[in-house]
Amino acid sequence: MQRITRREFVKRTAVTGAAFTSIPAILAACGTGTSTSNKPSKLTVAAVQGAEDGPLKKVGPMYTAKTGITIEIVEFPYDTLFSKLVTTFQANGSSYDLCMMDDPWMPKFGTMGALQPLDSNFGFTRDSDIPSIVYDVGTWPPPSGPVPPTEQSKAKHLYGITIVGNVEMFMYRKDLATAAPTSWDDVKANAARFNKANFYGYVIRGKATNPASSDSLPILWSFGGDVFDTNWKVKLDSTESIDAITFLTKTLKQYAEPSADNIDAADRDRLIAIGQAFQSTTWPAEVTGVVEAQGSSQVIGKMAYIPIPQGPSGKGIGMMGNWLLGIPKGSHNGSAAADFIKWMLQADNMKTYVQNGGIPTRTSLLNDATLGQTNPYFPALAKSLAAPPNWRPRTDQWNAVETIYGTAVNQAIAGLKTPKDAMMSAAAQIRTTMQGAGYPS
Amino acid sequence: MSRLVAELPAPTDEHPVRVGRRRRGRQERLAYLILLPALGTVFVIVTIPFIVVLIQSVTADDGSFLGLRNFTRALANPLFYEALRATGVYALIVLPSEIVLGLGFALLVHRTVRRAGLRATLYVLAVLPLVVPPVAIGVVARLIYAPGYGVLNIILERLGLIHQEIQWLSNPTLAMLSVASVDVWQWTPFVYLVLFAGLQTVPRESVEAAQVDGAGWWTQFRYIELFYLRPLFLLILFFRLADVLRVFDHVYILTGGGPGTTTQLLSLYLYRTEFKFFDTGQAAALAVVVLVSISILYSLITRVLPLERA
Repeated sequence: MQRITRREFVKRTAVTGAAFTSIPAILAACGTGTSTSNKPSKLTVAAVQGAEDGPLKKVGPMYTAKTGITIEIVEFPYDTLFSKLVTTFQANGSSYDLCMMDDPWMPKFGTMGALQPLDSNFGFTRDSDIPSIVYDVGTWPPPSGPVPPTEQSKAKHLYGITIVGNVEMFMYRKDLATAAPTSWDDVKANAARFNKANFYGYVIRGKATNPASSDSLPILWSFGGDVFDTNWKVKLDSTESIDAITFLTKTLKQYAEPSADNIDAADRDRLIAIGQAFQSTTWPAEVTGVVEAQGSSQVIGKMAYIPIPQGPSGKGIGMMGNWLLGIPKGSHNGSAAADFIKWMLQADNMKTYVQNGGIPTRTSLLNDATLGQTNPYFPALAKSLAAPPNWRPRTDQWNAVETIYGTAVNQAIAGLKTPKDAMMSAAAQIRTTMQGAGYPS
Repeated sequence: MSRLVAELPAPTDEHPVRVGRRRRGRQERLAYLILLPALGTVFVIVTIPFIVVLIQSVTADDGSFLGLRNFTRALANPLFYEALRATGVYALIVLPSEIVLGLGFALLVHRTVRRAGLRATLYVLAVLPLVVPPVAIGVVARLIYAPGYGVLNIILERLGLIHQEIQWLSNPTLAMLSVASVDVWQWTPFVYLVLFAGLQTVPRESVEAAQVDGAGWWTQFRYIELFYLRPLFLLILFFRLADVLRVFDHVYILTGGGPGTTTQLLSLYLYRTEFKFFDTGQAAALAVVVLVSISILYSLITRVLPLERA
């Protein structure tokens, strides 16, 4: 046996090690070129933990039984999912073949160019049974409303398909009220009429940032106010906006629960479900999860669900909170992921999805009487989607704007600032933020 | 004589001093080699991120150099000063409370509990709050203070002490006291454990001599035990100040920084700047400002409580 020097030994070890460690990379590289056409064994979905991804988890095995492709769902809490996706997209990572996205995230991901276009790459077309707004919300740049300055020259493409048709609605105790409130004046009148000790005329979801923002935006819009006008000029300090916030934080607050500034959706649902409150805004997941939940709610069958009542503007405008499925640019299994979304959209499969707790986007399913018996809010959701609802301003700065606005509304609810001062201060802060990001605010 | 010669080391050409130096050099190299993994780890998980933060604090998202613009933006933001004030108030509530309570418990147990079994039990009980995940503590605290169903209000009502719900999390002062109380509950045991360990190092003879001379409880503490505990106070202040700057979970769960921004501590503000505003430059600049401030604060504390006296 030939003896080798120590130097030669080190050299040979390094060469052998490098060869072995490069094998997976070489195999992966070979796979990259073919995987979009080959059938993968599994699709990995980054999903939000909670009521929104529950039905998806249930229909995943059905897709596996049909195609042999496993649907692996990786769950994250809301905030974590967002930051996880942002970092994955920044690195153009291939960890996820599909991702669930809240619709306000669309501007961020659209601006980043993080997703694969579903129309031009995979042949997605609009279905007449699904409201246009559902497709519009997954389109970037947005087909209506103001477009961020940096995005105005980009071609519009569909990047996300709604799988949870969420629109903020209104709920009230139909066993107590003789007629549904059609305006915010009716809401106020009912709040005053039914408010008594340990029974609140109105529930405000006023916790700082997202909760306070979500709760107040439909009122803001229905009063003719807005965060921005069509040219990205801040409108929060307009008379209409201040009137809307004054209505919520002064007029309705008289009949609201104590500590409204610390109340989030779960607390609101608890108050409604134990029969301690008359009315509030609501999201579909709150209805099925708590308010109409067998075994825990005391108001099953006593609640009515309607679109957001009209304000002085003559309109009642709900807010979209759709959850979409998109395909990250880094995914090597784009075709298979698109096939899964198409499968989800088929009427029969969407019906199965609804029977497993999902919220549909097909008008035919929302108006299906059988499904409506177990989901009493479906007709209101169909009307809200047809209205159509507003989406939150399509800017990648929305998280910052919402934080500023939601904190200001919270300050007004807590009585730390007058509604006018809170809106003036929020408007000034948002202007600075938007100007810093290149907007003409 | 011949035996003695035989036992002497064989003569070498090298000077003994040179041999000693070489041996020391080898030992030093070995010491550095042993330290290398630890230093490497510190370099990877502390130094590199710190350098990255420093770079981010003077650059834009696209990598272009901004000079001190991120710092001026961060320092011009009134929310930063609100967060700084909230953190200061929080620290002023929790640090003295934890030190006084921890010291009180330590002295009480040291002087009154003699049975080893009971001391061990108290030790285990004191460790428990320290190992509970902060998120779990936040959730439990919310069950205590929440409006509508908070246990504290229910107890106070049943005892007849209140007739109307106290809005623990909605009144700015009460909200701050509520979030601070959670910190006091979790970290007083840490102070107790450190000071109790310190009390065990006090020489028994000194205490007994003082007692013979008629020293009372206070004199004994003031002139003997406090002397030995002084460096530990410095240690506690170091650790707790660093923790106060990192407090996040229970405040986020209890108040989310509200009402308004009254409980928005620096950590929450930094989190929002980075993960809500996605303003990495400003967040990095803030982190550097906080680091420099805390370094100055630490040096001031070190001057007030000199270690060398112990």
